[in-house]
Amino acid sequence: MPNNEVVMKIENLDKFFPMKKSVFSRAKHFLHAVDKINFEIKRGKVLSLVGESGCGKTTTGKTLLKLYEPTGGKINFLGRDVTHLMNADDKKWFHSKTQMIFQDPFESLNPRKTIFDIVSEPMNIQNFETLKKRELMVMEILKRVGISPPDAFLWRYPHELSGGQRQRVAIARALVMKPEFVVADEPTSMLDVSIRTQVMKLMMELIREMNMSFLYITHDLAVARYMADEISVMYLGRMVEYANSEELINNPLHPYTKALISAVPVPDPEFKRKSVEIKGGIGKPIDPLPRCRFYDRCPFAMEICSQKEPELIEVGENHKVACFLYEQR
Amino acid sequence: MKPILELRNLKMYYDTQAGQVKAADDVSFVLNEGESIGLVGESGCGKTSVSMSIMKLLPENGRIISGNIFFDGKDIVNFSDEEMNKIRWAGIAMIFQAAMNSLNPVYRVGDQIVEAITAHEPNVTFEEARQRVANLYKLVGLDPERMDNYPHEYSGGMKQRAIIAMSLACNPKLIIADEPTTALDVIVQDTILRELEKVQKKLNMSMIYISHDIAVIAEVASRIAIMYAGKIVEMSDSVVIFKRPAHPYAIGLMSSFPSIRGEKKELVTIPGEPPNLLNAPDHCRFAPRCPFATDECWKQTPSYSEIESNHFVACFHPQNLKKLVNMNA
Ligand SMILES: Nc1ncnc2c1ncn2[C@@H]1O[C@H](COP(=O)(O)OP(=O)(O)OP(=O)(O)O)[C@@H](O)[C@H]1O
Ligand SMILES: Nc1ncnc2c1ncn2[C@@H]1O[C@H](COP(=O)(O)OP(=O)(O)OP(=O)(O)O)[C@@H](O)[C@H]1O
Ligand SMILES: [Mg+2]
Ligand SMILES: [Mg+2]
Repeated sequence: MPNNEVVMKIENLDKFFPMKKSVFSRAKHFLHAVDKINFEIKRGKVLSLVGESGCGKTTTGKTLLKLYEPTGGKINFLGRDVTHLMNADDKKWFHSKTQMIFQDPFESLNPRKTIFDIVSEPMNIQNFETLKKRELMVMEILKRVGISPPDAFLWRYPHELSGGQRQRVAIARALVMKPEFVVADEPTSMLDVSIRTQVMKLMMELIREMNMSFLYITHDLAVARYMADEISVMYLGRMVEYANSEELINNPLHPYTKALISAVPVPDPEFKRKSVEIKGGIGKPIDPLPRCRFYDRCPFAMEICSQKEPELIEVGENHKVACFLYEQR
Repeated sequence: MKPILELRNLKMYYDTQAGQVKAADDVSFVLNEGESIGLVGESGCGKTSVSMSIMKLLPENGRIISGNIFFDGKDIVNFSDEEMNKIRWAGIAMIFQAAMNSLNPVYRVGDQIVEAITAHEPNVTFEEARQRVANLYKLVGLDPERMDNYPHEYSGGMKQRAIIAMSLACNPKLIIADEPTTALDVIVQDTILRELEKVQKKLNMSMIYISHDIAVIAEVASRIAIMYAGKIVEMSDSVVIFKRPAHPYAIGLMSSFPSIRGEKKELVTIPGEPPNLLNAPDHCRFAPRCPFATDECWKQTPSYSEIESNHFVACFHPQNLKKLVNMNA
């Protein structure tokens, strides 16, 4: 298999939500949760999506996995156009090769099922191996995510677990069948450093061993740096910067990315970090004006930024940014 | 300094088919008015259980076995539900770890907060309450126009911020914030932490801040308690905990986080398995993972004692750490 095979590719992906006052009224306004996003993820690679809360990361992930119908654009998976999956066989094929780790482990685990049922479900759907074998695999994966000893947890229900334990059960479930492509939405947000590291190492091992590909959504740049080959930064539905991980962290270009990196807290009570320089502001993704979406908060805003929207342009090797500061006139 | 909350030898256990889970075992601390303490520890160590005990919102299989919880001078361990209802939100408010699904899915988010206000303050009119909620929305960086949306129309971080707004709605004396910013990017987190600090100063509010993120704790808390397997193993001023952690677990915790500053480093984990709280043993619970463990540690539980002024540790071999120990060596 060629190593630079593209596993997931999206072109001009849009997802708009209608905003209506009541169920009966026609929507006049649209919330642009995902607005003309492009990227591709190769086999064995991890792309991390970072950005402000509410900027459209989860919506991108869910649309990619067809949990939402896209408003526009194309989704291509393993060379096949999956934008509109029609028949049951195609859907089954797609869902057997992809998995999502949902952002909220309190919402995503079925409260009436035991941990064993939850984790073994992907195997049951595909009628995989014998029950005995499934049990062993469940124990094995639980152990690897630090749920130990696994047999103390198998017959518990999700509400009998701590937040971080639930999060790890969700990870175990998504990875147990070693899918080809995973959208991991803030999968380790509730884990302490030690267990988080263990889980990240597990994911990296699987990525290497099985050549899995990941879209890794996180707001934690240190995590993105460790996990991802490339990082893409979103702001109010748009992709504003894209680069190799180290490049993005060491040489951020977009004013939002710069602010994001300077705001990372430092684990030292005596260190006084300077406060974030960008203006506070509340993003409005509903019927956005045709201008830079960061305009209101940008310390470098120019006239042109209020007149049209910057395109994502290549400014260095595999480094793209959507900002007029870097456009040559 | 007047104490607002004091826990004395609190024991909270869950009954399960497989045995007792000792989620809080002899937990004691004092929190003063206007003070913030941080509670950190491995996933599953009992942080949420301690908070739910203080709120007295325990599941059916969870019980307070013994100990006292003094809030504002009164022991609330034996308070009835009715008495607790008066205290919840107006006296002690909690930002739940399950923030994302502690909102009722069938009501508009803004209405739920309005409801919390009018329930405790019958003199406040609907319009006044709505105005207050709008102001709280701005404080946490949410657009007040989104008050009329339903929870499913919010992103993960937006729900979390709505709950933070709700916790502040009735000007409580104490806020227990259980991983309140896990879904927030650093910029939003930074803004909220600063706003919280202002409100806290203005109202002389106290706070228990639970987080797995030591860097965040370093910024918000003046004292830190470190929990391991249901017990507080170390507590002191934040600076002391960072400068000279004494408990081997605390040392491991301090030296194992990924960073975006400096060279990309290999991540370290605290070796060994997370403890099993089920039928917990009568010896030091960290002994199986501790590089300094001796026979003594396997025979009894170390007492929680003051090794220097205001620095409490439960360990037979507290380390005097100017030197930092490499746990993976
Ligand atoms: N089902 C929905 N209906 C209407 N609006 C929605 C829906 N889902 C998301 N949105 C809106 O779309 C925008 C993007 O939301 P999304 O959940 O993708 O953000 P996110 O980047 O994942 O944020 P977070 O980091 O806070 O989880 C937000 O303004 C959100 O309110
Ligand atoms: N209802 C329950 N029944 C039985 N065991 C439970 C129940 N709720 C929690 N536990 C167990 O009690 C222990 C403490 O859980 P708790 O939720 O307090 O942990 P935590 O420190 O908040 O962890 P996290 O950081 O992962 O949220 C865990 O080992 C958990 O599995
Ligand atoms: Mg999200
Ligand atoms: Mg918890």
